[in-house]
Amino acid sequence: MSDAALEARLARFLAARLGAETVRIAALERSTEGFSQETFSFEATVVRAGRTETRGWVVKREPVAGLLEPYDLEPEFRVLHALSDDPLPSPPTPWFERDPAVLERPFYVMERLPGEVPVPAPGANGEGPFTDAERAVLGPAVAATLARLHAVDWRRLALDPPAPGAGPAARELAAWRARIARAGFPVEPILADSLAWLGGNLPATDRLVLVHGDYRLGNFLVVREHGTARLTGVLDWEMVHVGDPHEDLAWCASPLWRAGTPYASGLLPPADFFAAYAAAGGAPVDPARIRFWSVLAIVKMIAIMLTGLAAFRDGRTSDLRLAIFDHQLPYLHLLLATTRGWIPGGDT
Amino acid sequence: MTVPVESLVDGAVRTLLDAVAPAVGSRYARGQLYAVIDVLRNLRDRIEERAALAEADAAGAADALARIVVALRAADAAGAADAIAAAVRAAPDGPPAARAAALAAALVRASEVLAALPGAQAAAARAALEACLVDRAFRGIAHLKPSLLAEISRG
Repeated sequence: MSDAALEARLARFLAARLGAETVRIAALERSTEGFSQETFSFEATVVRAGRTETRGWVVKREPVAGLLEPYDLEPEFRVLHALSDDPLPSPPTPWFERDPAVLERPFYVMERLPGEVPVPAPGANGEGPFTDAERAVLGPAVAATLARLHAVDWRRLALDPPAPGAGPAARELAAWRARIARAGFPVEPILADSLAWLGGNLPATDRLVLVHGDYRLGNFLVVREHGTARLTGVLDWEMVHVGDPHEDLAWCASPLWRAGTPYASGLLPPADFFAAYAAAGGAPVDPARIRFWSVLAIVKMIAIMLTGLAAFRDGRTSDLRLAIFDHQLPYLHLLLATTRGWIPGGDT
Repeated sequence: MTVPVESLVDGAVRTLLDAVAPAVGSRYARGQLYAVIDVLRNLRDRIEERAALAEADAAGAADALARIVVALRAADAAGAADAIAAAVRAAPDGPPAARAAALAAALVRASEVLAALPGAQAAAARAALEACLVDRAFRGIAHLKPSLLAEISRG
């Protein structure tokens, strides 16, 4: 679909939902940051009851193929919609549409929040994404926001909770193991060994919470001003589910997202991040559970990459960015060895 | 590599034609782009992954599996040792990629066999397996170029 056609369809959709006389779409941009859902941002100038208002919006649309297929956008929409009035910095998300006549595939619409998304990669000179002054403010804010997220009453969100005890760990491991199998590649021995280790070391969970599932550098929206920074949004809720809070903690602190720094998501030393989370009202962090979820974090990333590679191999996407995962997997195998504790000095 | 070289080249050509070429405005850049596509198309059937990489993986796996078998026999786990030795014997002598794949599968089999043994009985064999997997991981990154992921993400 051309940009002009997309603009016309979006204008019609918004006009109907807002009861507007006219809607004009401008500054339509396809995002290059995400590797999974298709993301479009744009400005809509709305004329309604004689008043004109311009506001930024973001559309998330189900892709033809991608890293987290098979897709179902509705659960994440339901969560985002329910959180729209919560103090959590999640984007207000008013509409979900499944009718293929509108944008061909299911999508939902969110308000665009201010800020930029620092990417999880070192800068040109190897520097991290944040200055020390920014880290001092953002680190505790990110930890506190996660504690707040984990305090949300998930029972009102119509999500399917796992069984108590080892249920959350067992369910997540089974889901990622199934994705690896579906990709249909030979399983690398270190991955097979790690899957077996995870299966033999399922931790029990004493508290079920709303897990974001992808809470980490790269999904934080940040405004930098006056030498400091503030967290304005948490994005990409497509892996949201009910589970063990340690899953988000380990994912956020994983070496996957340190951007060349020793810090969890480029912000705080992992131990300080966990302490800040507990100080903000999250439960104390259990190192044994963190160890399990840290290994699963790497396995999960490998599963995501294998899914993208399978889509590319099968010709279901022409997005060459998925092919580069072939060159990222060996790093993840090394991270797996590090996280398993097989390489002296490796940080888990 | 996970995806066959031919599939990677085909995918790159498809992306350049479908997604990149329509967005290139300069005539010079467009000519260069089609030259790249021409080079890739003709390269496709003349290249294959280096045999030396598969041979190195196979040699590392064979050495580790031999040490695992010896360690298991020394630990009075003859049945486990026999199971792993059988997987090694089943690996073909060549071509290199097929041998490397079969020995990788034998490493997976060894991991399963060791997981079924008491920790103390498997300890020496596990140490050999873990050392092999670490070596394999380091070999995997040895030929990689610095990632352009940051630029790719920024677009």
